[in-house]
Amino acid sequence: MSKIGEIIEASTSEFMAQCYELHQPPPFGSLVKAREGEIEIYGVVCDAATTSIEPGRHPIARGREEAEEEDVFRSSPQLAKLLRTDFSALIVGHKEGQKLYHYLPPRPARIHSFVYVCDAEEVEKFSQSFDFLSILVAAKGQADELIAASLRHAAQAQPDPRRFLVIAGKELAVLLGAEPNRLNTILRRIRR
Amino acid sequence: MPLDLAQVVSQIKGLAARLKAGQREREQHLELALGTLRSQAADIQSLRSKIAASKTTWLVAGLTQGLDQQYEAPPRPQDFTVLATDGSHIDVDRHSSVPCYLINIGTAVLHYGEKADASLFSEPAVFSGDELVILDPVGGNRVELIEGALLGVKRSVEECAAVARTANELPPERPALALLDGSLILWGLTGQRFPEFVREALLEQGFLKVLDSLKGLSQDRNFALASYISFPRSADVVNALRVALCPYDPADCDRHCSGKRPAAGRECDAVAGIQDRDLFRMLLGFGERSPVFISGSPFMKKYYREHEIHFFYLKLEEEVARVEMPRWVAEREELVDLVHALVLDQCRRGHGYPVALMEAHEKAVVTNADRERFWELVEIALFEDGLEVRSSGKRMSKRLRWI
Repeated sequence: MSKIGEIIEASTSEFMAQCYELHQPPPFGSLVKAREGEIEIYGVVCDAATTSIEPGRHPIARGREEAEEEDVFRSSPQLAKLLRTDFSALIVGHKEGQKLYHYLPPRPARIHSFVYVCDAEEVEKFSQSFDFLSILVAAKGQADELIAASLRHAAQAQPDPRRFLVIAGKELAVLLGAEPNRLNTILRRIRR
Repeated sequence: MPLDLAQVVSQIKGLAARLKAGQREREQHLELALGTLRSQAADIQSLRSKIAASKTTWLVAGLTQGLDQQYEAPPRPQDFTVLATDGSHIDVDRHSSVPCYLINIGTAVLHYGEKADASLFSEPAVFSGDELVILDPVGGNRVELIEGALLGVKRSVEECAAVARTANELPPERPALALLDGSLILWGLTGQRFPEFVREALLEQGFLKVLDSLKGLSQDRNFALASYISFPRSADVVNALRVALCPYDPADCDRHCSGKRPAAGRECDAVAGIQDRDLFRMLLGFGERSPVFISGSPFMKKYYREHEIHFFYLKLEEEVARVEMPRWVAEREELVDLVHALVLDQCRRGHGYPVALMEAHEKAVVTNADRERFWELVEIALFEDGLEVRSSGKRMSKRLRWI
């Protein structure tokens, strides 16, 4: 289980973390977790961005004279210290003791909590229930993209990914019974 | 509206008109300065002797290599490090009952080449108690408060000390340039403003001691210290031309010209209003540097010992910059080359200004919001300790701004 970043903003429904490595956020839709005392809080990565560390200083184009993109960073080594990569995760469940709950935790994660990428075994365990899908369905912004990405990601951790996606599709058909267009959009994105 | 811009506009128009009227004269002066520079360059030995014998009221550059040579930038090394520091401060607030000041030093260390890397950090320090004054060590009750201009000098000493601390940790095998912003001459200490013990404390026991240690560091490695002055206003070289133009030999301003008004009857005023940067903008090509000169400051000559400040001008795309360095850098050709190549390289990377200095400044800067927050924190800390905090009526009125 690898430590990837640290929480810099948190609520009971979402958290934002800063990555330790520039340009290396966890993949969109992947499962991450952070600790709050005895509770482990699970989130699905719903956004990531690389920006200047200072709001008033904007990156400018620097590569006209460089052959490779890496050369831009080699010629201006301070860049790596002036940029940051942050990602946000939508909270989809938590674990207290050995028990998994696919709904929101009682408290938000603490600021500066470490964020870990969940390994395949943990992803498989977490995705044995699809109750978390209702949280994603209600998400703001690009909820359908997020649902599809999280299912594609979870499928990779399953012994039978195809079967997993078929069951997930049925769950979604129930949740989005009144919104066939949305359902179709998602199904098209998880078809293998 | 605090500033009535409508009233200002008409005055600005007058300013522009006056500048335009003086333009023709300036061009003539510059032409004559360039002509003098070229004619004197053929025999700098006699100009050097005349400068040495002359007594002038302005600072005259000492000549080392010549006057009009142009030096192309040497190639930069494959792997190298540029380190820079800059500082800012929060001055003692005489409207507050809490005597203290803050100096924030920003440092940027940039490693280029194979193992490119960077480290940017700031070191804020709050000074209070004994640190608020400089005491006369000989006794008596003579003290000088560190505030205003003197705090500026203290900050320069701290900036240089931070360079030395960081430079000590650099890998010795890598060529390195340490850059400071502004002049290496502590102009704030010149003249009669402060008593001798102040100069002793800040210059001998402060700045020059740091230079001693940097000189020691430079002895067995390719390490150079320099400072960078953007848009310099100095005229040391033009003043050397004034000496050349002076009909008296040796020149003695007080003796021969004391009654004459500037720009009226003095032969040397034929180059009046020209600054060194005007001269070298015409003379140098992009990336080229001037010969190395020695600062003419009597204060520097008297106190700087083996750190005597030398300088050259460097032509960049948008301006001519002045680069200063101590004698122990100026006398080693490979270090002058290193300074030339790396300052130019820094300016190229920084779109006209050294990147390392820009990043050091970014780490050092203290905004007005920071200032206010600092005083709030001071007041909170004192309040929590049960100490009474008083501040002046003026300060309160500025804070509240009632109608």
